Amino acid sequence: MGSKYERGVGRGVVTTSATRGSHSKRSIFRRTLCLMAVCGLIMFIPIAWRLWDIAIVHQEEYQKMAARQWELDFSVSAQRGNIYDRNGNIMAMSATVYKLILSPKDLMLSVSNKDEDGHLLESSVYEAKVAARQDQMVEELMTLFPDLNREKVVKQVHATNVAYWEVKVNIEEEEKQVLQEYITQNKESSYLRLMTSTKRYYPYSSLAAQTLGFVNANGGAYGIEAVYNDLLEGVAGRVFTTRTAGGAERYNTYAGYIDAENGYNLTLTIDATIQSYMEKALEEGIEEYDIQNGAFCIAMDPKTGAVLGIASSPDFDPNSYSRIVNERLSGQIEEDTAAIFEKLKADNPENLSESELLAQAEKQARSDAQVTQWRNKAIDSRYEPGSTFKALVLAAALEEGLVSENDTFECTGSVMVPGYPEPIRCSSRKGHGHQTLAKAVGNSCNPAFIEIGSRLGKERFYQYFQAFGMMESTGIDLPGEASLAGAFWDLDKMTNVDLAVGSFGQRFEVTPLQMICGFATVINGGNLVKPYVVQSVSTQDGTIIQNTEPEIIRQVVSKQTSQRAADILEQVVTNGTGSNAYVAGYRIGGKTGSSEVKQEADHTIVSFMGYAPADDPKVIVLMAFDNPKVSEPGSHYSTTGRYISGGGMAGRKVGPLIAQILDYMGVEKIYSSEESAAVDVSMPKVTGSSLTDAQKTLAEKNLNCRTVGEGSTVSRQVPAAGASIPGGSTVILYLGEAAPEEVGTVPNVTGMTYEAAKNALEKEGFFMRSSGVPVYYGNSTTAERQSINGGETAAIGTVIDVRFFNEVEDSYVNIG
Amino acid sequence: MARKAKRDLTMEEQLARGPMDFPFLMLVLLLLGIGLVMLFSASYYTAFRDSSPRVHNNPYFYVTNQAIYGAVGLAGMYIISKINYQRFRWMAPLLLGLSVVLLVLCYVPGLNAPINGVKRWLRVFLVFGPTYQPSEIAKVAVVLFFAARLCKRDTEKQLRFTKRTNTGRFLNWLEKIGFLELVPYGLVLVVVLGLVVFEYHVSGALLVAVGAVAVLFVSGISLRWFIGLGGAGVALVSLMYITTDYVKRKFSIWLDPWAADPQNEGFQFRQGMYSIASGGLLGRGLGESNQKYGFVPEPENDMIFSIVVEELGLVGAFAILVLFSLLILRGYWLALHARDKFGTLTIVGIITLLAAQVFFNIGVVTGMIPNTGIPLPFFSYGGTALMIHLAEMGMILSISRQIPAPRND
Repeated sequence: MGSKYERGVGRGVVTTSATRGSHSKRSIFRRTLCLMAVCGLIMFIPIAWRLWDIAIVHQEEYQKMAARQWELDFSVSAQRGNIYDRNGNIMAMSATVYKLILSPKDLMLSVSNKDEDGHLLESSVYEAKVAARQDQMVEELMTLFPDLNREKVVKQVHATNVAYWEVKVNIEEEEKQVLQEYITQNKESSYLRLMTSTKRYYPYSSLAAQTLGFVNANGGAYGIEAVYNDLLEGVAGRVFTTRTAGGAERYNTYAGYIDAENGYNLTLTIDATIQSYMEKALEEGIEEYDIQNGAFCIAMDPKTGAVLGIASSPDFDPNSYSRIVNERLSGQIEEDTAAIFEKLKADNPENLSESELLAQAEKQARSDAQVTQWRNKAIDSRYEPGSTFKALVLAAALEEGLVSENDTFECTGSVMVPGYPEPIRCSSRKGHGHQTLAKAVGNSCNPAFIEIGSRLGKERFYQYFQAFGMMESTGIDLPGEASLAGAFWDLDKMTNVDLAVGSFGQRFEVTPLQMICGFATVINGGNLVKPYVVQSVSTQDGTIIQNTEPEIIRQVVSKQTSQRAADILEQVVTNGTGSNAYVAGYRIGGKTGSSEVKQEADHTIVSFMGYAPADDPKVIVLMAFDNPKVSEPGSHYSTTGRYISGGGMAGRKVGPLIAQILDYMGVEKIYSSEESAAVDVSMPKVTGSSLTDAQKTLAEKNLNCRTVGEGSTVSRQVPAAGASIPGGSTVILYLGEAAPEEVGTVPNVTGMTYEAAKNALEKEGFFMRSSGVPVYYGNSTTAERQSINGGETAAIGTVIDVRFFNEVEDSYVNIG
Repeated sequence: MARKAKRDLTMEEQLARGPMDFPFLMLVLLLLGIGLVMLFSASYYTAFRDSSPRVHNNPYFYVTNQAIYGAVGLAGMYIISKINYQRFRWMAPLLLGLSVVLLVLCYVPGLNAPINGVKRWLRVFLVFGPTYQPSEIAKVAVVLFFAARLCKRDTEKQLRFTKRTNTGRFLNWLEKIGFLELVPYGLVLVVVLGLVVFEYHVSGALLVAVGAVAVLFVSGISLRWFIGLGGAGVALVSLMYITTDYVKRKFSIWLDPWAADPQNEGFQFRQGMYSIASGGLLGRGLGESNQKYGFVPEPENDMIFSIVVEELGLVGAFAILVLFSLLILRGYWLALHARDKFGTLTIVGIITLLAAQVFFNIGVVTGMIPNTGIPLPFFSYGGTALMIHLAEMGMILSISRQIPAPRND
């Protein structure tokens, strides 16, 4: 109907009364349909195609790019386990610290490239704005951390392609709070971030540093930290989730969480107190003897192999392990730098300038020094054990029935060994003459041991050498046991001369740890034990998951043999070269040792192996000093005037150290009859009583007396009643009107023998308490030190401590 | 005013009380509901992170506002649908006048609310939100004005000028080719478009033009004028392409958006691609978008559809497109069945506008056309826009009331 009308109107009135719309109804219909098709259907085709193309065809490709921007996959660090000493003191622990991260890239992006009205800035204006912001950032950082290197800060802040720069690490909780506040207030969180990390603390700083080792970025790097790294570090957890554009972690259903498993705690056999005694003794020794190349000391339970302490000098502070703390080592760096510099200058293929070479040399010297201080000399170095090894030869010969306590040996000062052109000398040029076995050991007599060695013969010597563990690593749970390649002879190639010098511990090398284990075998009942430092492994809540049981590798000699050898070795201290290690009240046994290093002239390692109590050893200690400086080439004396020998140097330190350790362990002092005579007694009150009564009372107390004045009753006494004086002292009784002086001058007794010193002091009204060597030893014992120097005044009756010293000839014998 | 009894109603009035078109109403409500849900999902993180005093880190800020505007808009839609649409004829010029005044006010400092130097918003005005865009009203005003005038073409006599003068003959020729008829429309368009364009609101001007052109096209204006106009547009753009770097750059970005700086011009495009791709076929699930966490710029506004695809997948996106398609088709169907030409032209204008917005928005999101900044109707956040959309739907519903029911014989 509509179309008819339209057509009719359409053609008819073109010329006369035309309207503007012509065939409009029809055209409206058509055009609306057309629009309907376009807007309602056709328009959606490209849209649908695009969506399909993106969401299905290119999905993987784009999705990957998308995921890259919102995927968050990070590890959650596990808490590293603590290390405790045997008493539960924390030796190493981890704590949460923070690091401040700057993203120079985001710093640049934080500067708007538009002005206030939203117009884009010209690039020069924008760059100037960025530069201003960067300069400001440098100032801010320098204000926050004045000790930063400004040059480096400037360089880093301007490195706009970098998104991660550690401004400062090891920020503690309190400082972190301040920084957090600062960042929030200044709205800098888009480019300054605080991240958590952990820091290892060693509360005892340098104590047992080489044993503990340290942790660097890759985990445990040295010592126990390295060996037990897997147990200590735990298993890092992982979080994979999505993040917001601001970097915040999102918690959603797609997220996965794997909890971190904290590391295990370790309890060591090391005792922090014993360790500190040892380190102190080493330090004193190094000072006293002018030691050039450091020192080491091991203390061990001889029956179980549990290491009570290992000290090695020079040491370091694991809290800042790269720093050189030892002064001698710092001095060494300068010397080494010069040496390396000369070497580099001689061979300079790259034609570097002198300053570059010097920097290179210094770097190398410094890194050498670092390695030196990180090394545990007691484990990773080898040395000739010297005379300490005689104990093992003795035990072997006793076990084989080749010697007995009744055997005697003749020493003329040297002996010829077939196959060696010169006579092999003893440390005593005069010779020790006629001596029993015990005396020969006590004298550390080389010809006697050459004799014992030849009785053993090469095969048996070699067997025992092996049995005592001298040819295998000890298996201790510390890293870096020195390789034993070339340390000893092959059996086939072993000569008589090798046997002869090997019998007194020369011409082969062992590690100090091997030596102490071998020696322990001799005195502990004959069992070679495996040394260990980790007693137990426990979880964070204290459940022990692994406990180390002492492990006996093999029985080398019988219990009886061990007992016999121990008795003989005890006499080394009571009556031999080890007398300087004597401490009254403790039955200390041991053996001295001196050895040359790689046949270098005047480079001696002096050592002492001591153990106590002799009848039931609780601790065995090996201490050695490497290279005491000789006063002049070829001299037997150090620059500090000490006779260079194991007994004279190491022995003097080991005796008091063992006494200290036993005291600490609560081992009771048991005095022999001679010793108990010298033990302190309390002065009884005798004033007012008759002289005879007084003498009787004093005799009961093991005190002598002399009288001053005349009369029958004691009017005054020195010392006063209740004073503690050594037994056997002579007290002064004043009779009648005689009165004592208030003060007197202390005589100088250094250099005197025991009796002379005692008499000299008592004559002046003082009492002497002796220490050092056994008091009944012969005339070679001389006083070396007195607590109040001669010439000074002191109250009458004062007890003066006098330390005695035995000069023993047990120095190294050069056998070429 | 008491309601008149049915017997007292005129024919006109009786028609105006007819039923609204139910399918169209349902489609509007469906899209509005889905849009609101998606707006919440897309906007809450942005709102939560926004510490400006307006939003104040309230994650519900956008969705509550949109819901309030939606409720007001629905009420408005109902009221408008009750108005006899014949009254729009005389309202049209008034509305056009009003919108021109409002557009002019946008240039008055103090009344306008310039954002980034763009003056398309007007500060608190009438009952609308804190700011609103007068160009939204201008769109519908132009459509109504054009429809109200163009529907009378068939009864409008051609103008006659004296044939004695050259001017007269020239004018007669112009009238004959239909040029003079277009002059008033052209003037109105030039004024309105000029005002909108110089607010720096090119996309708004584009939509005003689309609505106007749709009405002109359907009303039966000769096709040659459209061809000519289109040709002129292409020529203008080509000229700008040759002379200005800005347009050239825009073009190169459009042709190869992956080559654009990913942190700058290419950023929005890339993020849109990433969202759609991570949605895949079935989507990550409602509320599970990753891209809305600060990656997609303005996820509550122009880019909302990318979040929709990411969460609901291609399937969900197609479903929404089908709803839009049905709404548009139903709109044209209503236009075809409208009682008079005025109704037809009004609906065509409004629906074409809507379709253009859908196309331009999703076209931008899918990287087909350069970034224009056109929101998606019923989905994107925007109080004025939503209420005016619903008002427009009300007009269509009002027109639908007067469609005579098909005879059942």
